[in-house]
Amino acid sequence: MTIKYWLDLYAVLIRSSIRSRMQYKFNFILGTVLAATIQIAEFLMISIVLNKFGAVKGWSLYEVGYLFAVMTLAKTLYRTFASDVHHLERYLTTGELDQLLTRPVPILLALMSQNIRLMPGELLQGGAILYWSMHGMISSGQITWLALPYTLFVIVTGGVILFSIGLATATVGFWITRINELQTLTEDAAQTAVRYPLVLYPAWLRSLLLIVIPVGFVGYVPSLFILRGEYGSWLVYGIALLAVICLVISLRFWKFGLTRYQSTGS
Amino acid sequence: MKNTLPMIEVSGLHKQFRTPVVKEGRFAGIRTLFTREYRMKEAVKDISFSIQKGDFVGYIGPNGAGKSTTIKMLTGILHPSSGEVKINGINPHKHRRQVAKRLGVVFGQRSQLWWDLPVKDSYDILAHMYKVAPDEKEKRQGEMGELLDLKEFWLTPVRKLSLGQRMRADIAASMLHDPDVLFLDEPTIGLDVTAKRSIRGFLKKLNSEFGKTILLTTHDMDDIEQLCERVMVINHGQLSYEGTIENLRDKIGLPTLIRVTFHGTYQLPAPQDQCLPVELGLDAERTFQIVDAGSHEVHIEANRQQVKAMDILRMVSGWGEVADIHMEEPDFEDVIHRVY
Repeated sequence: MTIKYWLDLYAVLIRSSIRSRMQYKFNFILGTVLAATIQIAEFLMISIVLNKFGAVKGWSLYEVGYLFAVMTLAKTLYRTFASDVHHLERYLTTGELDQLLTRPVPILLALMSQNIRLMPGELLQGGAILYWSMHGMISSGQITWLALPYTLFVIVTGGVILFSIGLATATVGFWITRINELQTLTEDAAQTAVRYPLVLYPAWLRSLLLIVIPVGFVGYVPSLFILRGEYGSWLVYGIALLAVICLVISLRFWKFGLTRYQSTGS
Repeated sequence: MKNTLPMIEVSGLHKQFRTPVVKEGRFAGIRTLFTREYRMKEAVKDISFSIQKGDFVGYIGPNGAGKSTTIKMLTGILHPSSGEVKINGINPHKHRRQVAKRLGVVFGQRSQLWWDLPVKDSYDILAHMYKVAPDEKEKRQGEMGELLDLKEFWLTPVRKLSLGQRMRADIAASMLHDPDVLFLDEPTIGLDVTAKRSIRGFLKKLNSEFGKTILLTTHDMDDIEQLCERVMVINHGQLSYEGTIENLRDKIGLPTLIRVTFHGTYQLPAPQDQCLPVELGLDAERTFQIVDAGSHEVHIEANRQQVKAMDILRMVSGWGEVADIHMEEPDFEDVIHRVY
């Protein structure tokens, strides 16, 4: 099994997944447009609030926008490439996972290529806000162009961290089957929380978002160096290492979880 | 080359499912949530068997007996609680992908194909997955397409196929990568007579001409009777019978029903009580039973393993003037019913 084989197969699966979606064109287009609208409305809300109050605990509107954009882009990366990992519950309750298990393909690859959802809305919104906030900070001399490659790197490591959290959460489903609410907690709520600077939160919540669910390392921690020059560039590489560790742990957990799969009666 | 090795080897297979005990009474829901009590349900208990290359084996049992659980363990979907499975010498739980490459799996209840795409596209994707060379794919697709008559719905999305068409498409798809072993879980469920016949014909051919090893689960005893050389019966998670269909019939020894109609009246022999064995006068073992005696008709049950039909007829003809005789062999479904 060469890398080329896997890449080819992934491409074939993605293509057929998109073709399947295109069978329902109206739903596909409407879904994309709606998602984009919701994203933009969400940010408008925040900017209105921030504009009214100016900075929060020493974080400017540009900086908060930056956190927001990095999180959106990392999440878009994660959800685009691993769409159905987030929807494992459906496979568990219907026993749909059976089919994937009879194929000579890693389950994760199969899940990652099913029901692919393109997220141009999120990409556009995240990109626009990132441009706006970084442009603002570069003009004011807070950061230099050097921040851009760091930011792109951090979006990728962030995507990996979010994927690891999502995978570990999904794996719990092999024991408890229904995981929707757990996902709301470890994914949706946690991701929304760290769109704001962590300094806003009490210490216990901060450590929760850094240690238990390391979602704080997606945008907040790297921004301490990238935007404010605190610590040093090692911080970014440390986060990359952390992302790899998270990934390895969650993959191990996933493999173990698969052996506990119970299927459904027929 | 591996003729001497069994294709499927199962030893001491167990599977337990753990479900929390549902509480009753006040706050039942919440107490269930926090309970540490579990009920262990043993779906499969200590099953061992082996299937040789080229065998066509039926795996039958009532609903909930553990058939599907066994199949799912054989295909690597479920991990056994203990015991071991080997497909062509390889353990599907340790090397799932390697085993999957050599397996064809068809679930009658659920399609393996891409629901929203034309049948053709599913085959293209599968060919990629199993690394089937293009010329090989064309060849096999042509073969299967002809045998199963796939052309008429080749470009139809799977979700729009009829059940019969879908089943044909599914079985052909499972053959695309030329697997050694085929697992079929209720492939004829819900099909009409014609569709069943065409699928049976095809399966027969796969086994006899292409030499595929096939394990079939079904509730349709005609499937078993027409296709399988061997049956395994599972009940309450345990194998209760394993062997040929003829042996199974013999073992159960269901009686043949003989209906004799007389012209006018007839005279039964001395012990006229129903259900008492009537001796043929040869030896004590050889008896038959009168189960029902009407004004013109007598119903007799006899085990053909013990008594010859001719002996019975000879005796019966002494009772009166025989007008008609009708014999019913035990139905295979009845045989199976007895095993369950």
